[in-house]
Amino acid sequence: MTLMIKTTPVSYAPLAPSMGELNGMQVALRFDSESIENARKSVLGVTDVSCFQRFSIKGSQAASWLSAQGLALPPENNSWTQAAPDTLVLRLGASEYLVEDQYHGALCQRLRTFDQAATPGAYHVQRGDAAFVLSGSKVLDLLSELCMLDLRDSALPAHSVLMTQLAGISATLLRQQLNGETVFRIWCDGSYGPYLWGMLLEIAQELGGGAVGLSCHYQ
Amino acid sequence: MSMRLQKQNGEWISRDKPVRFSFEGKEYTGFEGDTITSALLAAGVKVLGRSFKYHRPRGVLSFANHDINVMVTDGKDTNIRGDVVALENGMQLQAVNTDGGVIKDKNSYIDKISPLLPVGFYYKAFHKPLFLFPFWEKLIRKSAGLGIVNFNFPRINKRKLNAHCDLLIIGAGPSGLAAALAAASNGLEVTLVDENQQIGGSLSYDHAGSDANRKLLGELLNKVNQTPNITVRKGAYAAGYYADHMVPVVEAGGITRVRAKAVIVATGVFEQPPVFRNNDLPGVMLGSAAQRLISRFAVKPFNKGVVVTANSQGYRVALDLLTAGAKVAALVDFRADGPRDPLAAELVRQGVKIHAGHCVYEVVPSADKLGVKAVVICPFDDSNNVVDTARSITVECDGVTMSAGWAPAAALLYQSGIGMDYDNTIQQFVPSRLPKGIFAAGRVNGVFSLENRVADGARAAAEVLRFLGKSAPEVAVGKHQGVSPSHAYPIVPHPKGKNFVDFDEDIQVKDFINAAQEGFDNIELMKRFTTVGMGPSQGKHSNMNAIRILARIRALPVEKIGTTTARPFFHPTPFGHLGGRSFHSHRLTGIHAWHEAANASFVDVGAWSRPAYYQKDGLGKQQLVQQEVMAVRQAAGIIDGGTLGKVEVCGPDAALFLERFYTGRYADQKVGESRYVLLLDDSGVIVDDGIASRLADELFYVTISTSNAAAVYREMQRWLQIWQLNVGLVNVTGVYGLINVAGPKSRDILQPLVALDLSNEAFPMGSARVTNIFGVPVRLVRVGFVAELAYEIHMPSAYALPMWKALMEAGANHGLRAFGTDAQRLLRLELGHHMPGYDTDGLTNPFEVGAESALHMDKPFFIGQRSLQIIAKKVLTKQLVPFTLAAGFSGEMPMDCNLVMENDKITGRVTSIAYSPSLRRVIGLAYVAPTQQALGTEFQIRTDNGSLVTATVVATPFNA
Repeated sequence: MTLMIKTTPVSYAPLAPSMGELNGMQVALRFDSESIENARKSVLGVTDVSCFQRFSIKGSQAASWLSAQGLALPPENNSWTQAAPDTLVLRLGASEYLVEDQYHGALCQRLRTFDQAATPGAYHVQRGDAAFVLSGSKVLDLLSELCMLDLRDSALPAHSVLMTQLAGISATLLRQQLNGETVFRIWCDGSYGPYLWGMLLEIAQELGGGAVGLSCHYQ
Repeated sequence: MSMRLQKQNGEWISRDKPVRFSFEGKEYTGFEGDTITSALLAAGVKVLGRSFKYHRPRGVLSFANHDINVMVTDGKDTNIRGDVVALENGMQLQAVNTDGGVIKDKNSYIDKISPLLPVGFYYKAFHKPLFLFPFWEKLIRKSAGLGIVNFNFPRINKRKLNAHCDLLIIGAGPSGLAAALAAASNGLEVTLVDENQQIGGSLSYDHAGSDANRKLLGELLNKVNQTPNITVRKGAYAAGYYADHMVPVVEAGGITRVRAKAVIVATGVFEQPPVFRNNDLPGVMLGSAAQRLISRFAVKPFNKGVVVTANSQGYRVALDLLTAGAKVAALVDFRADGPRDPLAAELVRQGVKIHAGHCVYEVVPSADKLGVKAVVICPFDDSNNVVDTARSITVECDGVTMSAGWAPAAALLYQSGIGMDYDNTIQQFVPSRLPKGIFAAGRVNGVFSLENRVADGARAAAEVLRFLGKSAPEVAVGKHQGVSPSHAYPIVPHPKGKNFVDFDEDIQVKDFINAAQEGFDNIELMKRFTTVGMGPSQGKHSNMNAIRILARIRALPVEKIGTTTARPFFHPTPFGHLGGRSFHSHRLTGIHAWHEAANASFVDVGAWSRPAYYQKDGLGKQQLVQQEVMAVRQAAGIIDGGTLGKVEVCGPDAALFLERFYTGRYADQKVGESRYVLLLDDSGVIVDDGIASRLADELFYVTISTSNAAAVYREMQRWLQIWQLNVGLVNVTGVYGLINVAGPKSRDILQPLVALDLSNEAFPMGSARVTNIFGVPVRLVRVGFVAELAYEIHMPSAYALPMWKALMEAGANHGLRAFGTDAQRLLRLELGHHMPGYDTDGLTNPFEVGAESALHMDKPFFIGQRSLQIIAKKVLTKQLVPFTLAAGFSGEMPMDCNLVMENDKITGRVTSIAYSPSLRRVIGLAYVAPTQQALGTEFQIRTDNGSLVTATVVATPFNA
């Protein structure tokens, strides 16, 4: 068992949030007071959730292995479903899946028992995502600068997963409900995390929002 | 003298909000809603700019958002378009392109010598004698151009957004408004854009002395305002058409890329000037310009004017002038049957003298040459283009309006791939073939009566609905009745010229005749020789007349001449808008923050930012790099290699895949072993190299050089599709961090941290194991790229920073020091390793770099193998060799890419060269001729200053 604490791919500087640890990773819990963050969140909040647990698998037998673990899978390519109350399953293509535990989720730990050598046709895909929650009334305004796709409710079915370009980099995006609010989730390669965090924050701040800590969404 | 009128019904200005500004040093007051031009004209200022070439005084021409002679600077920004940009408090404006101000421009003498400066004169005049060309070039560059670029212009972020809708309608005149209402009432989400600050198009200014159009506009606007699924963007121009119905819409705050399921182009028409002598003087303007001034900005264009017309529009203009209180001294109609116009009787009733079958032969300038004194009117046979100057009359006036016809504002239609035919009944190009999802409506579609324009908008909307799979009834649109709205040839010849066709570039009728005589009688050639349509307005007021003139010269119908290419952008667009926010995506490793804190100097490698070396006070770059090198040679160094490409090749066919993809052999590679990989392209050229570590029977972990990672992974995916092997590829480049600990003390540092035996016997070069360091699962690989003893530690990237810090702490007592890419390149050079991309180019094959040992030609197949079989039978033309300079060399230091010479012949080039602190001499790699490759051979390197330096071919690894 390692005593090392993982670092988020996101660089918070020059902000100095109060930090905490979740799933063995350091993460920003608060950037400001609760009232300020709540106000920010309602306009345009950007939250780093890179610390969520993830398990990804691909290959012709990926679906059957996941099903054998009792997971309900999205029936269509590029769609997502809620496999458990606190776990999302994203189907990233015909034969690739990303399982992500939300704040209280605990499914991924069990899935990590996957034995690639004993499972022909299924390959474990290591993840090192930078992941974000975007919330607030101006989230579409922000995304309209970063993404050329139509992300309005009328154009984006509720359980769609978009694998697209955001600010010039490859990213995965979906819309979900979080505590009764509509939010957008974004994943990108962790090495692009500092860049995307910076762009999201720059635009969010221009639009009256800003960084929101994990505690603002999850307790 | 103020030219501001009493309040006009529907005017765009807010009279309760005065705006103070200055122009050319004088203070003025306008109103909120004014443009710079309208405010100046309202203040009685007539000369607003100077022409580009001859520096002739100019005023308003079209007032239709492309008046290029009214461009100003506020000292910070330049070429501010006076007819478009809204007036702001405190503006301090100067006209561009003058020397001494717009009234006393010192360059106005150029107009007097204009006969010496016909179009094309500088093509012919300044290329010989050759030695004088730099002088002329300097002079022309100084004289040319409009405003002066402010290189200290502040960066102002202009957002570039994306938006979507069912239907995008460009142009909010009667057709566009009707189309929007019809489409929206059937449930479509409509975006309606118009370049003007208010929507309504000609309904907002073309009244012919009546209120009917205002009433119709009010009704349409009321409906639009009550229709929630219509989004109106005012002050927004559609800048171009791109594939999949993507139209960038430019507004003051930035660009929005609107993507629509269908597009209706209802952009209307540009009014075209008739051509006669001095048609460019301040006070001479298009009829629609005068109407816009009156109705939108409550500005009287002049006090007593002459209306020149070659169509019915002039009659409407005359009535609007009269309503505004201007006197109409005469209406001059090119057409003999003009007075049959229904509005003629009303003009006569109001006392306007109509000169049918006449032309304005010339405008007589005022004494100061800055305005209009009178016009000379002559009988005119417009069919045969003959002027009867013997019966001329002179009419005094201070202004002239011109109405001769229209040209379709069809730039976006052309860009969408439309086909156009010339319709002789209206003397206009009209759409004959439209791409899918593109529709045209209104005057751009050749529909002119107001009733028909409204119907045509509804017709286009119905077609859009059917295109989108909805039902919609057919909408009938009446055919054009009566005389043509455009004159077939509104050009009045004059022996003294100055009858301008293109006001951007001061091009006269004779310039076209001369161009044709010189053989430039194709419209595209003529455009380039005369520069017609190449100014800021891009031919909006000149291209149609140019086509007519060329058609007349060549005695061809207009449709045989064709049109020039319409390219984006539709209006001049600031670079700041095009740039938008800077999205310079870049990748950082998990250790980046440590590098920053350690004062690293960074270098971009592909998308990554990597430490080149670590800065320390008082030491130069070379000194620091050499210190880092010595640390690796004498103790230990540590480098962040997380940027390397990393791919897992999984599955039963993983080894077979690598055998085909790379030149080496992998089927017999043992688990726990790593091997060199060399990738070629089909022609046998070196693409990349790296290491493949076999971590399990069906799992290889392959590294790729940093800058090639994405391309090589794409190639892997492509070949896997072709070969259809049972393989899974997982790109883990960003997922894994990589730390390389190198140097004689590296084992001492690592051994206490791992359970493995790292001795040479137990963990020799080429070993690869999965193990733990500080409890973190890592992939440990023994490599020899920068040092004989070196270990790559691959771990999940989230652990890279704590791992790095822990290793630094563990190595502190062993002299462990961080090193960057500069030291890395020198370290590998000392070992004689070539680097693809540095020591190879897009033509280098493995034989030329001595990489035969990496080739397993006896394999059934690998990429590039067949090419190598052919290349192997040919004689080599170059060979990469290691070399040294003489010990203690102190001359001009050769550089990378310096040439290798043999007598006066170039035989190769240096690819890498550096002073090695550990070897205490200059070492390098260079391509030489095969005759120069033998050990001990001396060859010459030509340095940047031309001196020759002697180098000697040696063996690697280099020795002191």
